[in-house]
Amino acid sequence: MKKLSIISVFSATVALIACSDVKRTPGHVYMPDMAYSRAYESYADHSNLEEQGIHYTNMPVAGTIYRGEEMPFPVAKDQGTDTSHYFASKQVKSPIDSMSATDAAEAERLYLINCGICHGAKLNGNGPLYKGGEGPYPAKPATLVGDAKYENMPEGQMFYSVTYGKNLMGSYASQLSRKQRWMVIRYIKNQQLAAKAKTVPAAGAAATK
Amino acid sequence: MISYRRFAKSYLAGTLLSLSLSLSTLTANAQDGKTLFQTNCASCHAVHKKLTGPALTGVEDRWSDRKKIYAWVHNPAGFAKGDAYAANLLKEYSPVLMQAFPGLADKEIDAILDYIKTVPAPGAGGPAAAANPADAKSAEGDNTLLFGVLTLVLAVVALILLQVNANLKKLSDEREGNPSVEPVPFWRNKAYIAVVTVVLFVIGGYLTSKGAMALGRSKDYQPVQPIYYSHKVHAGINQINCQYCHIGVYQGKQATIPSVNICMNCHMAINEYKGAKIYNEEGEEVNGTNEIKKLYKYAGFEEGKPWDASKAKPVEWARIHNLPDHVYFNHSQHVKAGQVQCQTCHGEITKMDEVKQFADLSMGWCINCHRETKVQFKDNGFYSIYEKYHQDLKSGKIDSTKGITVAKIGGTECQKCHY
Repeated sequence: MKKLSIISVFSATVALIACSDVKRTPGHVYMPDMAYSRAYESYADHSNLEEQGIHYTNMPVAGTIYRGEEMPFPVAKDQGTDTSHYFASKQVKSPIDSMSATDAAEAERLYLINCGICHGAKLNGNGPLYKGGEGPYPAKPATLVGDAKYENMPEGQMFYSVTYGKNLMGSYASQLSRKQRWMVIRYIKNQQLAAKAKTVPAAGAAATK
Repeated sequence: MISYRRFAKSYLAGTLLSLSLSLSTLTANAQDGKTLFQTNCASCHAVHKKLTGPALTGVEDRWSDRKKIYAWVHNPAGFAKGDAYAANLLKEYSPVLMQAFPGLADKEIDAILDYIKTVPAPGAGGPAAAANPADAKSAEGDNTLLFGVLTLVLAVVALILLQVNANLKKLSDEREGNPSVEPVPFWRNKAYIAVVTVVLFVIGGYLTSKGAMALGRSKDYQPVQPIYYSHKVHAGINQINCQYCHIGVYQGKQATIPSVNICMNCHMAINEYKGAKIYNEEGEEVNGTNEIKKLYKYAGFEEGKPWDASKAKPVEWARIHNLPDHVYFNHSQHVKAGQVQCQTCHGEITKMDEVKQFADLSMGWCINCHRETKVQFKDNGFYSIYEKYHQDLKSGKIDSTKGITVAKIGGTECQKCHY
């Protein structure tokens, strides 16, 4: 009787300790060769490859352009206190003059995902991260529609800011391809024109021509 | 006539009231000041924090005269030529030169300055403490413990009762004069042994088969990450789209782990956590600001200085979802062509502080979904080549409410995923 109660209490405690509800280890696998790739996959640590005598290029050759991508932006980033490149970027023309309906929808999708979070779905500089000063983002994002500064800003200069970052805005070159960046800028310009056409119908008609 | 007079009276009182209100200038001005500040200054200045430009709290103490501030705001470059303090500012924040605001009247600048004075320093009003999830969790844990103890107690009671019953029977047998049989101790009692064997066999078999099936499946896996990154705070509370960070999900096989650059897009400016309290799975409170500092270490970023992205080192996140080498899975196929929501496979990510694996990622789970899920055939260029299905759908040969499942277009063929 005593023996049995000791055994049952012991096994019950073991069972209780064993079932913590947070699983911090992935558990066991059979055939770990299959579960964990022997080949180098994305995000595998390949820093020690050269020690093993394996040489390969993990970046495409400099200047490589994949099919369908726009040409590189001809203006380099400003170094140090120089601002001449930022002003030179005004001269760069956008390769995208007009967008098809599907492209426009795609540009809007990209804007809402990448820009809308700060600049707002209505382009009023009041996205969910700023929320009129209530959100976590401390600086007021640019008012893209309704601020003459951004309505008059040439597309090339916008591209410079999106590519290299400007003030507190970071670079979006790692998130959007060159073509996507030009598309988003075209979308912003279109929205600005549409807003202008609404407020001044006569002037708007002339502007869209 | 009387009502007319009363109306006039109340009208007069109203105008007087509004007049007196506008006379109590500071608060009213501060109200306008807030909007003026947000439309004109807030892109580069915060009140208590250095952004692109300096923090504006105590700005009047730094300048000798309000008139100088007017002149500076109207034309920073021009004013700096004749003023040593302003020239120093220019040097300190170079290459950024403050934008000129010639359109701001002196009164409006006054309003902004008044507003700046009214903004309380951060930390004055702490954020409301959220309900402690640890309490709820420990309560849940107590429940399972309670049930376990209850079961144990009941089992012991049942055993004791059985023994008592046997003893009573023995006593009554003795009294009635029946010859008493030498009692068999329960560990040699065949009925007991048989029952225990069967129970052990069932439990053992269940545990063995369950363990074997769990091999290689890591449902609920929730590793400790190098930085406590809360998906709930980012994707839930702050409504950042999943694809803001996981850019590859629409374009290729991998959903991609965001680079430090993407983190720094926002965290160059957001350097403290001010939201509701957050806890890790062990119930300990997490200091969000410290976690942001950890990110700065990876990024090689020092606050107040421009960030040099080339100093950044990747964060080594622990991988949660892992498919074996012999399974091909492509994110864009599911998310872009198939228009499947992230949450279908990853669960309510927007409610998870620490992400855990939601699905077991077993083959049965994949196949089930492929059998049941309707393909988004309508207006989806990706599936336009299935002409016969489109025709059958149109002619009604295939019930459009049932639609075309993934299995029908070959989604359960072996070589779709194993090749």
